[in-house]
Amino acid sequence: MMEKTVLINCSPKQKLSVSGFIMKCEGLMIRGRKEYFQLRTPADRRPILNALKTAGKVIFVAPLYVDSVPSHMLPFMKEMEAFCKENGLRLKVYAIANNGFIEGKQNEPLMRVMENFCVRSGLEWCGGIGIGGGVMLNVERIMIAVMFGLMLLNMGLRAVQGENVLEPVRSFAISLGEVLLLACGIIAYAVRLALHVNKGTNAGKWYTRIMVPSFVFILFADIFFIIFSVFQGGIFRGWFSRLQPDAKYGIIAVKKNNA
Amino acid sequence: MKTIIHDLGKEENARLLAAADQVVCADGRYAPCQGCFKCWTKHPAACEMKDALHQASRVLGNTDDLTIITENLYGGYSAPVKNLLDRSIGSSTPFSTYRGGHMHHTLRYGKRNSLRIIVYGDMTDAEKNTLQLMAERNALNMGFKEHSIVFCADAEEAGRMA
Repeated sequence: MMEKTVLINCSPKQKLSVSGFIMKCEGLMIRGRKEYFQLRTPADRRPILNALKTAGKVIFVAPLYVDSVPSHMLPFMKEMEAFCKENGLRLKVYAIANNGFIEGKQNEPLMRVMENFCVRSGLEWCGGIGIGGGVMLNVERIMIAVMFGLMLLNMGLRAVQGENVLEPVRSFAISLGEVLLLACGIIAYAVRLALHVNKGTNAGKWYTRIMVPSFVFILFADIFFIIFSVFQGGIFRGWFSRLQPDAKYGIIAVKKNNA
Repeated sequence: MKTIIHDLGKEENARLLAAADQVVCADGRYAPCQGCFKCWTKHPAACEMKDALHQASRVLGNTDDLTIITENLYGGYSAPVKNLLDRSIGSSTPFSTYRGGHMHHTLRYGKRNSLRIIVYGDMTDAEKNTLQLMAERNALNMGFKEHSIVFCADAEEAGRMA
């Protein structure tokens, strides 16, 4: 019987988390029993630790925050270290890191932190992948959903008019291929990682990215933030200003003159 | 402006102030970053959460020389210090550029002088290597011209190094 695999989405986001999407996609390729979790709050920690008792492998899927794991993961990792030592667990640990910059290699410090965590905890570090431009996967999945909806609508209209209903399917397949091509590196490495997880072998550490030139990605990222800001009430409200602390809310700095 | 961030406890604030203009004690009594980007897009350099770190981006952004005193945790910062840094990304803007040959966010407060990291506690050689890489990456990310890292055996020694 294959060992159970625990997959943990370590994004603090409640909705539309890229890490959650990657976790679900990776999970589709993992054989045997699987359990999915999201680690957001302290209340999420105990159910994950309980699931680890009967698992053989664990896959962390985490976003890169300031060159490392998000801070809310650290107390969990300390608890997991103590828990694994107490219970004599020798889990195989894999990690998928993704960041908002284009270079997958920027995930290197996060991957090393995960490796150091495994050494401290007596767990087996089995490598993983670092993804650059992971946020584009969110754009892609929304695009695919919209294109699929348009295809169905087009098919319906053509059926009513007595035209060839397969033509929209052909157009959708071409567009889908183009979108997936941008993610071909990520897909290839995700498949490769799943094969290693299924065999329980060391996957090594690999870095990949969305297949877009970096200057194009930067342009897309800037446009994304402008649109995002419009939905939040406007743009360019002090975006570039050197804003000063105004002591309106708790400033935690203690200054020389008020120590 | 010289700032010291530390996780040594509030009782060390007064002593550390002798070596800096302002001291920030990372005591962990604040929420972690939720990844909402509102410190970039909705109310720049201010967090959506109105706790002790609400304006941490502005406090750190206005710093020319930053010293971070932290306990080692898996070759990175302690949880309270990392939490504070995660909540300070508003010191950059949402726009991107190339810095050091890599994509990074543009700097709201411009280039700054130096980042000094003082790490204490039990450390393996691999963790020291990770910390050195992290210091280099953080300096580039945050726009510090220079960076250095010091390893100390314990918190007391780390406090004296500031």
